[in-house]
Amino acid sequence: MEDDRAFTHPLYDFMARMPGLDVATTSVDKLLTWGASNALWIFPMATSCCGIEFMAAAASRVDLDRMGTIVRGTPRQSDVMVVAGTITVKMAPRVKKLWDQMPEPKWCLAMGSCAISGDFYRDIYSVVPGIDTFLPVDVYVPGCPPNPEELMHGLLRLQEKIRAFRAGKPRGAAERPPTPEHMRRPSLPRLDDPTRPDELSLLQTQSAGSLGHGTEMNLIELRRSKAGEALAAKLAALRAPAAPAEPAEKKE
Amino acid sequence: MELSVDPPPEKPAKKPAAKAGPAWLIPGAVAPIERADPYLDIEDYDPEADLMVLNLGPQHPSTHGVFRVKLYLDGEIIVKAVPFAGYLHRGVEKLCEKLAFTQITPIVDKNDYVSPMMNEQAINLAFEALLGAEVPRRARYLRTLVAELQRIGSHLLWLGTFALDLGGALGGGSTVFLHCFRERELILDLFEALTGCRFHYNTHTVGGNRHDIPEGWASLVKQALAVIESRLPEYEELMTDNSIFVKRTRGVGVVDGELCLELGITGPMARAAGVDYDMRRDAPYHAYDEVEVRVQTETAGDCQARTLVRIREISESIRIVRALIDGVPEGPICGHKPIKIVLQERSAGGQAYAALESPRGELGTWVIGGGVNKGTSPYRLKIRPPSLHAAACLPYVLPGHSVSDAIVILGSVDPIMGEVDR
Repeated sequence: MEDDRAFTHPLYDFMARMPGLDVATTSVDKLLTWGASNALWIFPMATSCCGIEFMAAAASRVDLDRMGTIVRGTPRQSDVMVVAGTITVKMAPRVKKLWDQMPEPKWCLAMGSCAISGDFYRDIYSVVPGIDTFLPVDVYVPGCPPNPEELMHGLLRLQEKIRAFRAGKPRGAAERPPTPEHMRRPSLPRLDDPTRPDELSLLQTQSAGSLGHGTEMNLIELRRSKAGEALAAKLAALRAPAAPAEPAEKKE
Repeated sequence: MELSVDPPPEKPAKKPAAKAGPAWLIPGAVAPIERADPYLDIEDYDPEADLMVLNLGPQHPSTHGVFRVKLYLDGEIIVKAVPFAGYLHRGVEKLCEKLAFTQITPIVDKNDYVSPMMNEQAINLAFEALLGAEVPRRARYLRTLVAELQRIGSHLLWLGTFALDLGGALGGGSTVFLHCFRERELILDLFEALTGCRFHYNTHTVGGNRHDIPEGWASLVKQALAVIESRLPEYEELMTDNSIFVKRTRGVGVVDGELCLELGITGPMARAAGVDYDMRRDAPYHAYDEVEVRVQTETAGDCQARTLVRIREISESIRIVRALIDGVPEGPICGHKPIKIVLQERSAGGQAYAALESPRGELGTWVIGGGVNKGTSPYRLKIRPPSLHAAACLPYVLPGHSVSDAIVILGSVDPIMGEVDR
């Protein structure tokens, strides 16, 4: 029972053992949750560009400190690991080692496309295609790199997640908080997903370089164009029959 | 204007990085240092000494990324230093071989992630030399402007992190850091107004720029520069009038001019050692031939000299931007047909090298045309990163210093690992 608990404290353990003190443990748990969610100490696993933007988030203008977050240089004093930047095959064992050094309860935030999926380095021999292949990620902050405001939004969502999950429930060390309904990962299939339609890759490729100079990267223009509309319709058609396949069989 | 690919145009002759000889050294430059042996056999070192091995990095707050140096320590003094790279190897050069020329610009943005504009310009200079694309005068002016603004931003970021490396010596450590980032945000705001992005811009293309100067941008630039210039003396005082700072940097990590020439070190590191060389003046590109560039040099070659050179380069960049901002000529910003049409019409062969002065030194790109898909992509692309050459001095310089000095030297060398490992 005690091993299942995320928070360990002598008083907390004592109360958990005493019959009739469940209400007290619940209250203590709420208190600890309130403390943990409002004092997230960050360990920046900053490897590349996102690290610079993380520094900008911690510096003067955005100032993460006012949310109760303090940047620590060591994993042993931290609650949240912010993985900012590309993780290579050579670096991944070190990241795992640092993650293992962090005390429970701990959370992981993937900052930027490289940490989320490997971005366009995904197919490169030396790059890990997303840190969720070896770390339990709680919050994904997309962008290349995300603005400091977006990182701040991600941290606020993480606080929300911690509060929503805890609410007096002890949890195992290996168990992660479930993702709330409104914080789902995007429904876009992953790149290694065999069901991922080729048109998706085509759309991404076409967004660069097909619309003449000046608007090459302008996705809005692409979506407004006839070709973009046709692609979107095709994608919708491809995705649609996946869900009602089973009921149709039952009717027969 | 159209591209003229056949025959390949004359490649601009590349000036040698710096001829070995006193002509490139300013008088009074630091004498050649006694170099440590980077291949020292530890077994041959004093067998009675109790050596300790310390791994600095790859995760360390002051290694500026994922750099690792293996230090052999005798007491607190470094006996041997072995640097390791490759913790951020992303295979950029190989990745670029699959992509069309216009698709490469956003990829190389991420190489030197402190100055993305420079990467874009370096790669597009090489492509323009390869494809023979002519850049309109307005685009050349705009490139010069953003390059100098990026240099200010990059040096400000360096100054802030270097002050962090020095720790509590400077008013609690993070004072200079916070001040520098406050000013860097002003530069990023200018870029956001110009391109819509804070960080990775993708604003340069072959033969020009994608985003024209917006209305009122010049006055925004002038306002931001006025703010930065008013605060520069404050930094110079914070860094140079501070006795702790002077004690920790003066005479520490001396790199002489000869070592710079041998290892190919350029940029502020070489200029701090008395190598009077700057691509902007000696091999002008963009619009640098129309503006006077005063090269900032120092003679001592130590960490303090590097700091002074970089701080002075900020004010020099401010001067260059002010000289150009009012005289930006009218005209097109991108002078050729959409590049995809050009690439479909004809495939490019031949090869080209182009280089520019990035905040860290000579950033060059060598490209061979005629890759996959009928030559619309490079057959081979090689990037010459200045940080790699700068970091190469560490095994020669670090031995003899203490561990705390090693942090200062590492900070003053300013290696960007995205660029070193690529």
